[in-house]
Amino acid sequence: MATPAALPPLPFNPSRVRSYILRLPLFTRLVLLAIIVFWLLELQTVWSVKQWGSLIPEEINIGTMYRLNTYPFIHFGFFHAFLNLLALTPLLERFEAEHGTLTAVALFFGPLSTFPAGAYILIERFVLHRNTEVFGASVWVFLLLGSEAIRTFKSNPYFSLGPYKIPTWTSPLFACGLVSIFVQNASLLGHLCAIFVGYLFGLGYLKVFVPPEKVLRWIEGKLNLLGRLPHYVSVDQKTFGRYGVLPTTTAGGERATPMSYLGSSQRLAAIRKLRSNPHFLFVHLPHILSFLCIVAGVVWLLLLPLNDYSRQTYISENALLPGQVHAYFSGSEQHIFRGYKKELEAILERQTPSEQDSRNDEFTPAVSDKVQSILRAAGLKVATQNYEYTSSGITHQGQNVYAIIQAPRGDATEAIVLVAAWRTADDELNLNGVSLALTLAGYFKRWSLWSKDIIFVFPPDSKSGTQAWIDAYHDMQPAFVQPLPLKSGALQGGLVIEYPFDHRFESLHILYDGVNGQLPNLDLFNTAVSIAGGQMGIGSNLQEMWDHNDSYEMRLQTILRGMVKQGFGYATGAHSSFMPYHIDAITLQPKGDGWQDEMALGRTIEGLCRSLNNLLEHLHQSFFFYLLMQTNRFVSIGTYLPSAMLIAGNFTIMAIALWLRTGYYIGSEQTAVKLPTVSAGETNKQVAVSTEKSGANTAQQPAVKTDSNSIIERQLALPLTLVVGLHLLGLIPLYIFNNINHQYYPTATYASIAINAILPIALAASLTRGLTTTPREQSQQSLLIKSFSLLVLGLFLSTLATLNFSLSFMIGLLCTPLSFVNRIDPRTASRPLRAVLAVAGLVLLNVLSPPVVLLGACRYVGVDVETVLTQAAFGWDVWGMWTQVVVWCVWWPAWVTGCALLGFSLF
Amino acid sequence: MTVLSLLSLLFLAAFSSLASANSDYHESLVLQPLPQSALLASFNFQSNDSQASFDERHFRYFPRALGQILRHANTKELHLRFTTGRWDAESWGPRPWNGTKEGGTGVELWAWIDAVDDESAFAKWITLAQSLSGLFCASLNFIDSTRTTRPVASFEPTGTHAASDNLHLLHGTLPGEVVCTENLTPFLKLLPCKGKAGVASLLDGHKLFDASWQSMSVDVRPICTQTGECVVQIDQSVDIVLDIDRSKRPRDNPIPRPVPNEQLVCDTSKPYHSDDTCYPLESTSEKSWGLSEIFGRSISGSCPLTEGSTDGTVCLRVPHEREVRATEGAVEVKKPDGYTRCFTLESSTPFDLNIPEQEATTQVPLDEPVLRAERTIVGHGQERGGMRIIFDNPSDTHPVDFIYFETLPWFLRPYFHTLQATITGRDGLRRQVPASQFIKETFYRPAIDRERGTQLELALSVPAASTVTLTYDFEKAILRYTEYPPDANRGFNVAPAVIKLSPAGGGGGGASHPIYIRTTSLLLPLPTPDFSMPYNVIILTSTVIALAFGSIFNLLVRRFVTAEEASAMRAQTLKSRLGGKLVALRDRVKGKTAKTE
Repeated sequence: MATPAALPPLPFNPSRVRSYILRLPLFTRLVLLAIIVFWLLELQTVWSVKQWGSLIPEEINIGTMYRLNTYPFIHFGFFHAFLNLLALTPLLERFEAEHGTLTAVALFFGPLSTFPAGAYILIERFVLHRNTEVFGASVWVFLLLGSEAIRTFKSNPYFSLGPYKIPTWTSPLFACGLVSIFVQNASLLGHLCAIFVGYLFGLGYLKVFVPPEKVLRWIEGKLNLLGRLPHYVSVDQKTFGRYGVLPTTTAGGERATPMSYLGSSQRLAAIRKLRSNPHFLFVHLPHILSFLCIVAGVVWLLLLPLNDYSRQTYISENALLPGQVHAYFSGSEQHIFRGYKKELEAILERQTPSEQDSRNDEFTPAVSDKVQSILRAAGLKVATQNYEYTSSGITHQGQNVYAIIQAPRGDATEAIVLVAAWRTADDELNLNGVSLALTLAGYFKRWSLWSKDIIFVFPPDSKSGTQAWIDAYHDMQPAFVQPLPLKSGALQGGLVIEYPFDHRFESLHILYDGVNGQLPNLDLFNTAVSIAGGQMGIGSNLQEMWDHNDSYEMRLQTILRGMVKQGFGYATGAHSSFMPYHIDAITLQPKGDGWQDEMALGRTIEGLCRSLNNLLEHLHQSFFFYLLMQTNRFVSIGTYLPSAMLIAGNFTIMAIALWLRTGYYIGSEQTAVKLPTVSAGETNKQVAVSTEKSGANTAQQPAVKTDSNSIIERQLALPLTLVVGLHLLGLIPLYIFNNINHQYYPTATYASIAINAILPIALAASLTRGLTTTPREQSQQSLLIKSFSLLVLGLFLSTLATLNFSLSFMIGLLCTPLSFVNRIDPRTASRPLRAVLAVAGLVLLNVLSPPVVLLGACRYVGVDVETVLTQAAFGWDVWGMWTQVVVWCVWWPAWVTGCALLGFSLF
Repeated sequence: MTVLSLLSLLFLAAFSSLASANSDYHESLVLQPLPQSALLASFNFQSNDSQASFDERHFRYFPRALGQILRHANTKELHLRFTTGRWDAESWGPRPWNGTKEGGTGVELWAWIDAVDDESAFAKWITLAQSLSGLFCASLNFIDSTRTTRPVASFEPTGTHAASDNLHLLHGTLPGEVVCTENLTPFLKLLPCKGKAGVASLLDGHKLFDASWQSMSVDVRPICTQTGECVVQIDQSVDIVLDIDRSKRPRDNPIPRPVPNEQLVCDTSKPYHSDDTCYPLESTSEKSWGLSEIFGRSISGSCPLTEGSTDGTVCLRVPHEREVRATEGAVEVKKPDGYTRCFTLESSTPFDLNIPEQEATTQVPLDEPVLRAERTIVGHGQERGGMRIIFDNPSDTHPVDFIYFETLPWFLRPYFHTLQATITGRDGLRRQVPASQFIKETFYRPAIDRERGTQLELALSVPAASTVTLTYDFEKAILRYTEYPPDANRGFNVAPAVIKLSPAGGGGGGASHPIYIRTTSLLLPLPTPDFSMPYNVIILTSTVIALAFGSIFNLLVRRFVTAEEASAMRAQTLKSRLGGKLVALRDRVKGKTAKTE
């Protein structure tokens, strides 16, 4: 055996925990495994393990006696299982080490689970006449605690607490009491039964059930269990239990039997081999960890829709009092609504087509004047604002009309906004919505209870109008947007009314996503759902989920739709523009064909305005970061964040590992080759794995040359320059895709695909040719390039996860192959093989390049690339959308680096 | 245009009584319908006591409680304002009393205090604020050093003071104070007739505080005539703007439900007009109203103390051709201006006015306001923001000169080097110009954290037919954890700015008296911590940082060596060599036993 090369200490010393876990005896392992398996089984929804196996007093009959044995394996959730595992492992390990595996099997499948169960059923069913089901390994925990306590009592009868002497056997009772106080649903009776049986066992009354030693020894000998089963604890070993015969010299000699010595030395050797095997620690372990992080991140997200991880929504701000007031908007107001609608309709019809064409919206001066006159007649203060935006060569212009109801005794300190855009978010004519807002303006004006001003805004469209208005409201408007002549105070909330059709509606669809994935306070959404559902009897939907049956699939689909919208960060409606200014806003869209009319929508809005009017402070109580899966269920940031963080963490882990590897690890020896290779790559990552393998092999070669593995100097200049340069280079496509005319977008996309294919190879070629370094330095530098690139990626994504979880998650997933690609070293693979591998890898990576992903997504959804990119440029120019920056300055540089690393292999 | 404005009328009433009387009591009520079915009601109560009897603590009309406070606090002249709502100058025209009898939103107090130096003046000021706080059931005791300023040019004493007096002007505002009935009751108690008789009997809390805008003022000033006779005058006024529609709603059914279908007023000329479609028609006639309808009660006769006043107690400003029905027995006098008629009340008969609905032919003309001012906070975010003040001079011929006075709380830190001015003409073009072009004089007293606020007084001049916008940036301070009020997330009130138009600037009625305009108060959102979980956050972040930093730092700085190197290195040191010897010795003595795991 060669000398161990490097023995790098790890930041923590896992060997103790590890050796403890590796030394766990057989039966303990099996029990732990069974508990975990049952917990995993419980995650599916088809077959209820709990119903099948738990101890339900009424269900016990001859056919279901198996429950007496199965109930300790079943738990109701991760924490229950985890805590019980933690508590059970040392106790059970000790028991088995003392009594031997066979005895443990006999006892734990026999009296030690059936007796407590029997006692529990007797008391529960026949004395208390109840039917509480119990399950969980805590029964064994308490049983073993009980027997241990009796043993302690024999040697050490009392605790002395001042003048009082407390018998030690009572300690499990205290523990049991504490558990039932602190843990919900802990069955006190079940635990007491277990402790009672534990006492009996400790006092030796249950010895009759222990199989005779002779029999055991016979079985053991016949079956050669000791030889066949790993981690088996023999009957003979039980005499050396901790409380058995004290080890004498003879016992010590006996203990050093070849068999046990062999076992322990094998384990030791395994650990030593691991520690002395830096190749595993630095090359394989990071890959395993990274892969585990990715899998855990995805699985975490998939767990979120479960009831255990999501929560019921609730109104956090007491002042809102949703639905506590009667809404009076009805009766003759409907006649006025129809009057306004007919009036506006007449004007729209009268418009000449030429006027219509030149404006590309309904908002001609005639319409604007009519709206203003109606609002003025109702006694509101009216003003207008012209704006003009130019993006991708398209000019968006229009005129916002807005009016303010000044709160009767208010002082223009706070205000609520109601928006009715002429064009809805889906670009339909919102005639009913505008008429409704006009009617509500007149109706609200008559009330004297408003504590906040109410502002009615009538923008011509849902995309740019509100943005221009809200920018000007905060005096942040660009040059082509007029300032507002009339203002009020700090905006407390916004509601957008849409009603683009003439028939009655069935339910309300609530849009809540803001620009850059910002969300309104959950209280506002909850208030809308609660007023619509609780007071008006109108159902509500979200994320276009029309038939939500609250199943796991539907919940997951809702979450994913929300994440896609959040990740893209575009404005989903007129309300989105309010979010960057910390103004909570939602859009209410009537959907379906039912029996609710516009007055019901009006009453809902009246109720919402009354609730917002009640606010004493800005909405701040509830969550701003959440994922909604149903109108009444959500996951908060604390629960979902680890998912994206794990994915971002995978890059950081790999980056740190690569950094360590470049500095300390050059030499190795052949022993490492025997180690299992990385199982990280799945079928689609075959290339990555193969490159990795070869990369790992190459790293071992220099050991032949270097006699010692001294610390080598890292050549930082080139990697740093390259990574920083690539990130800066990302500004060029960012500029191009936001500033050229919209008709060139498809061309630009295809051009960028072509450039993406060539650029990494050209980069690799020029770097390889231009540098006269030794192959070893080249290999180090390629590792350093990857390390820096992944480090930046990991940092960006983990920071982004706190701001826009969905975007970070999506980019993280798309970047996962980058953790595993590497340069194929020329010394391990022949040139043709390298070329084939590298080209295959490049092709696969090119499929995941930003423009190709964009094209693929567009094809999948069925929209035009030009439309998408025009919208994106509009978002950048008008809404201040940051998605492109993340794509071009974070994702794209990392991707180019990954491709360039593969490209190095070609030369 | 020779219309005698409402303001001049009010002034006329005030000063005629001032001139004619010493040691008397006078009260008046002026009612003026305003556009959009609003009604301005100005109540004024004025009484004089001679300075001699005041000094001898002999109070006749002057309220004793207030008199004692003033003497105790050495206060020579006092002005106290309770205001709610905002005056809608666009619809309602210029302010009543030219704005001299109103304050900013909340409570405003300023007084001239006789004291030897600033410290003792401030001590007296605190005494005064605390005592008035008790008297008026208002939170005036919250006026501390951070809310107190000493304006230089914005306020002038209105009374006659001896030159020997060492007077200090102190000014304080509470913009967040909510004015309500608990302030009205002590206010009425100061009146000689206590709201039981005279026009004060109309002052009912329910109606008064349902008003769209409302201001109560108390002014105490010493006045000396040429002959050397001195009186102490107390002038109390209540100005309210009522919404006629709202006030007419019966008290048992105040909810503005949609009117029944048959009562809808529709534009029947519309082609689509039908039973279920109605385009509402704007009513052109003036609504009917009456005193008892609007105030819920009628005037219960005149206050007996107002003997001898001849020029009418209740005045109504509607065109003369408008039909007005008054209670029998009241003497009606029509003034020659064509719009004013006054009624003199009988002492014991209740008095009521009724104005039937009538097609409006002529309106009482309203003067154009001399200056429009708007102040808003711009920008967003928790760290900094900006203040924007817009002055609009509607006059096409005269520039307007005025003093702009604002006090800012200390946690709002303005940067006056960022002060910028833009001017917009009637053509709508914005031009950036140096601020010094408009600012003639500046008085600036910077804030000290937790001690005093910023005080800024600017003498400005806005050219004719133009709009001047001043902007400056500010930074928001982070308060200490315990300094936040319970409703921290609402934002913090910033007191309204006061604008004093110099008399020479023209406009308005009383040319010799300044006009005051106040902007609306502002709400400043400050960075607020999440009060519910600071400890969680601190503990969690510390733990995470400690773990992450510790392990990464360890990884980065630790030198990795092989086990052989490590043992070799250890073997070098004296200590380890000695240790090795010792172990070897021990092993030899004990006899090496089997090494156990």
